Amino acid sequence: MATPKELSDFLAATERRAFKQTAYAVRDDHAALDIVQDAMMKLADKYGAQPVSEFPMLFQRILQNTMRDYWRRQKVRNLWTTLLSSFGGSADDNEDRDPLDTIDVGDDGDEPSVQIARSQTIALIERALEKLPARQREAFVLRYWEEMDVAETAEIMGCSDGSVKTHCSRAVHALAVELRKQGLDKLGLSNVTLNGPR
Amino acid sequence: MKIDDNKHIDQQASLDANVEDQIARNIVELLDSRAQKLRDEHSLRLAEARSLAIGRLVSQEAQLAASHSIHRSGHTLQWFGGRFGHYFEQHRIFSTLLVVCVMLLTFFAVQQFSVNHQIENSDAFLLASDLPPEAYADKGFTAWLDTN
Repeated sequence: MATPKELSDFLAATERRAFKQTAYAVRDDHAALDIVQDAMMKLADKYGAQPVSEFPMLFQRILQNTMRDYWRRQKVRNLWTTLLSSFGGSADDNEDRDPLDTIDVGDDGDEPSVQIARSQTIALIERALEKLPARQREAFVLRYWEEMDVAETAEIMGCSDGSVKTHCSRAVHALAVELRKQGLDKLGLSNVTLNGPR
Repeated sequence: MKIDDNKHIDQQASLDANVEDQIARNIVELLDSRAQKLRDEHSLRLAEARSLAIGRLVSQEAQLAASHSIHRSGHTLQWFGGRFGHYFEQHRIFSTLLVVCVMLLTFFAVQQFSVNHQIENSDAFLLASDLPPEAYADKGFTAWLDTN
């Protein structure tokens, strides 16, 4: 059984990434915080007896399931909102958002111009990531950000290894295309080119 | 010629995979740097959530420890029960007869005791009464008592 310290260390190392991943998926910081908290509680409640080495996979699975639950609830809520009111907001409200508004210039000790360029790049990436289909984003996050192998990612997503590879490939390609469209080459992220979807 | 084509396709696929991998790594590196710079309110909320989860684990451990101690205190009774239970399981007919005998003995003992007690009470009543014992056997005396 994991000790409280082990659980604390694991959560401290994971929580920020988990929050950002969830925020990209649900596009609502408060909902993302709730989801991450739910996932943490479920991990402690149901899997506290498991060895620490199993925590990353268990936590990711719980997080993905909690996100799905959130989307289901949202779907039902949206259905009722649509039925009861004709004044529902447009789903494309975020389309007009200016990436420059979300720039958060950190204190990196770099040149201000470099910091701004980096922040712009991150803001663009975040927007591109939010635009990805849910399964592609899930595969990308698990495979590359959580550094899980294809088999682990497939197990969490409940699909085959081949599907994971396809989702990852499409996600990276879509991100590269989107970022290139936004003029990312100028911002210095990518000195690589992609030959097109396979 | 065909072999060369296949080799070329494989090399191209491998190159694409490497390129994809490199793009993904670059993107993740930037996302990671952003994740480390959360707003204070978000960091605080995450820390709260973490401490809640740890509190839950601690209370679970306490419950588990309590249930272990209850289990341990029940071991002595369980030992006796197990021993006797095992013996009676081995000698079922004998056990049944023994139980029936014990019940019958108890019944007769109780009966005997209550009959003796009743006789003692009636003797004591007759001896301590003002009237002679023959008076109670005389039917005329009983009729006289009823009329008066």
